[in-house]
Amino acid sequence: MHRVLERIINLLAFLLTAGRPVTAEEIRYQVAGYDQEGDDAFRRTFERDKDLIRRLGIPLTMHPTDQWEVEQGYVVVPDEYGLEDPGLTDDERSALWAAAQIVRMGGTGTGAEAIFKLGGAPAQASNEPLAADLGADAGTLAVLFESVTTRRTIRFSHRDSTRRLRPFGLVHRRGHWYVAGEDAESGAQRSFRVDRLADVTAFGPENAFERPEGFRASEAFASRPWEAGPDDIRAVVHFDAPVAWWARRQLSEGSDSDDHSDGSLTATIPVAHVDAFIGWLIGFEDQAEIVAPADLRRRFLAHVAGDS
Amino acid sequence: MSSARTASRLSRILAVVPWLIANPGAMPADVVERFGYSGENELIKDLNLVFVCGLPGYGPTDLIDVSVEEDGIYVDMADYFARPVRLTAPEGLKLLAAGSAVIASGAGSADLESAVDKIRMVLMPGGDASGAVEIDFGPEPELVGPLRRAAADGFAVDITYTALGSGATSTRIVEPWRVYTTLGNWYVAGHCRKAGGERLFRIDRIRDAAVLDDRFEPPEEQPPAEVHYTPGVDDVRAEITLSPAAAWVADYYPVEEISVGDEGRTVVFSASDPGVTARLLVRLAGQARLVSGTDVAAATADLRSRILSRYRSGD
Repeated sequence: MHRVLERIINLLAFLLTAGRPVTAEEIRYQVAGYDQEGDDAFRRTFERDKDLIRRLGIPLTMHPTDQWEVEQGYVVVPDEYGLEDPGLTDDERSALWAAAQIVRMGGTGTGAEAIFKLGGAPAQASNEPLAADLGADAGTLAVLFESVTTRRTIRFSHRDSTRRLRPFGLVHRRGHWYVAGEDAESGAQRSFRVDRLADVTAFGPENAFERPEGFRASEAFASRPWEAGPDDIRAVVHFDAPVAWWARRQLSEGSDSDDHSDGSLTATIPVAHVDAFIGWLIGFEDQAEIVAPADLRRRFLAHVAGDS
Repeated sequence: MSSARTASRLSRILAVVPWLIANPGAMPADVVERFGYSGENELIKDLNLVFVCGLPGYGPTDLIDVSVEEDGIYVDMADYFARPVRLTAPEGLKLLAAGSAVIASGAGSADLESAVDKIRMVLMPGGDASGAVEIDFGPEPELVGPLRRAAADGFAVDITYTALGSGATSTRIVEPWRVYTTLGNWYVAGHCRKAGGERLFRIDRIRDAAVLDDRFEPPEEQPPAEVHYTPGVDDVRAEITLSPAAAWVADYYPVEEISVGDEGRTVVFSASDPGVTARLLVRLAGQARLVSGTDVAAATADLRSRILSRYRSGD
């Protein structure tokens, strides 16, 4: 491993200082560590080294060595290689490191390598009992995130159709990730649950669109499932005393409620999605009752009876 | 040595060298701590390796100069490694998401907020990056904060808990170990003195919690922040065919898939109480069909008739 690491460090030093595309031949005869190898051995070694370099996120690209484009050479552009210094203080590094350790995401590690790139973090004993698991397939999310940061259009399949979206942002809400942006065909603002997307790829040039100023992905969503939809109803529901606390806890600010002396509760709840609302109300079993409107009451009963 | 270990060692070297260039005279012990080395020996090995690398020619004026003096470490002749490698997309996302998640859960600090802002600026230079990654845990139960503090300080809590499956309410004294969010809900894991073992409670089902003046010793090993649902021997199993419109159930609950047919997917749904499955079936109405499970069939019929008779008596 010693030899492998030396060779790759020498290779990176050579590529970062070359200032032009360099051919595999040049690398073989100039960079220490490749000189002992036969043709096949060199190719195998060089392939492995290139893989390792790319795995670290180092942008190793190929370009023609001259205007006649006869030969291709390897390039690592220093400005693409290097991290712009974000200017973190040690306290900020420690705070980020602590956060990275308690948040899990799609099986990715603690993020120590990212913290090292930012200048490491002085060790600290932490007894933080908090933890969060953001779930999700980290691979798809990374593609989406890179498209958001480089402003590239993405293409994916969603329910048997192929869509193109200009992604503006990612939001994690209640256990799921969503990507929000603008439909590339219609220009309408759309959001999609990330785990419902397949074959996500970025295409076309970077900086292909402008994100609207002040765009916030989270504002594209209602806070309760029944608050987003085509309906516009105000439901009056009576909740019995044993479940009143549970109803009260789940109602959002758009609802009005009256507490009764027996501990029960009558709430007026804005409903934009009747099916989602009915699904939620069934969780209260026979301890809640729709008082009005009559039509919603009928729909609820038909649903419970299995007629819908 | 595996290529994964080679990669992680190389990655650390490419981060340590820029740090040493920017901070001449850094003390080995500080570098060891900052970059997670097991000890000074491991750091010196990496420095010895860098010391024999450099540019073609590989003479004394071409090699990277590393010296470890009494007053610290000095790295010279390596300006091309003055900057660390840029963050990859998964690394950048993980940092932003982790920082934003801790802030969203109410445990953030001013340092964390400014750190997240600085990372956003690096990842999206020149743009308004504030809305690019947002974490929203929804309106969290107000007990998350007090339970987190009780867990951090090692105080037992007296809780009133209504079980999700049976709906039964009980009071119990719990030694809270850990507070976490997963799958969109908040949980507290700890030792339940009433049950005499480790238990998991959904925080939004805790009606009341009082922190007691009763200290406990937390375990050395914290349980992982996961909701493991492993069907138990007492669980009620039911076979259900889900129509395409109800396919989300298979993604949302830990079900066992049996077959996929014209009618939809058939799964085995396990729950601690038949009431859980009954509520799901009544909710799905025509989108799901119970194939087998007598307890669940009875519970479903009972739930339907209880709801319908309540409405009838009101009419």
